[in-house]
Amino acid sequence: MSGLPPGAARSPWRGRLTDPAVPVLALVCGTVAAAWYAPVLTWAIIGGLAGYSLSGSV
Amino acid sequence: MPEGWRPAVAITAALLGVARDAGLVTLRLPQNARQVPQDVLQRDLVRGALQFGFELGTGVRTYVSASLPYVAALAVLLANDVGTALLTGLGFALGRAVTPALRYASRAGEDWDDRLQDRLPLLAVGGGAVLAAALVVLTLHGFPAS
Repeated sequence: MSGLPPGAARSPWRGRLTDPAVPVLALVCGTVAAAWYAPVLTWAIIGGLAGYSLSGSV
Repeated sequence: MPEGWRPAVAITAALLGVARDAGLVTLRLPQNARQVPQDVLQRDLVRGALQFGFELGTGVRTYVSASLPYVAALAVLLANDVGTALLTGLGFALGRAVTPALRYASRAGEDWDDRLQDRLPLLAVGGGAVLAAALVVLTLHGFPAS
């Protein structure tokens, strides 16, 4: 069951952009950028990783 | 603890967390492994939603599925800096909020849940590895961030 209304088709780009792995990849990029430009923001990245890692929590 | 040991302890904990999430080591960590009961929503919808969100969002009463929050908490404790704690807390809140936001944006919640289950090892092990790398970067730039 997809959760979509009957007859509705989900666009492929939406599925890719909202993939659960996307935030991890974004945080990897964020780590590199923070390390290069503003190391102090790396702490925010660490927090973000910790927060998103709880996605599997119920 | 000597100042110079703090980053080493944090990085070691991060690597241990990766090994734990990869199933290489068994290590029990403290957690209140219970689900928030549904009846908190039935008593008062607004207050119940806030309580539900707080308890689930902060991990006060939930099944913690990764070692990262423990490692992040230890790193912040070792950093011993208010700004560091605030930045990490802000990041944690945003990271926690991404899950329901992304699920909602997908417009296919159950399908998204299935994909999340497939990606959980990546979230835990990959995210833990990134966290360890981030701690190495912070060490190179001077740990803590004060």
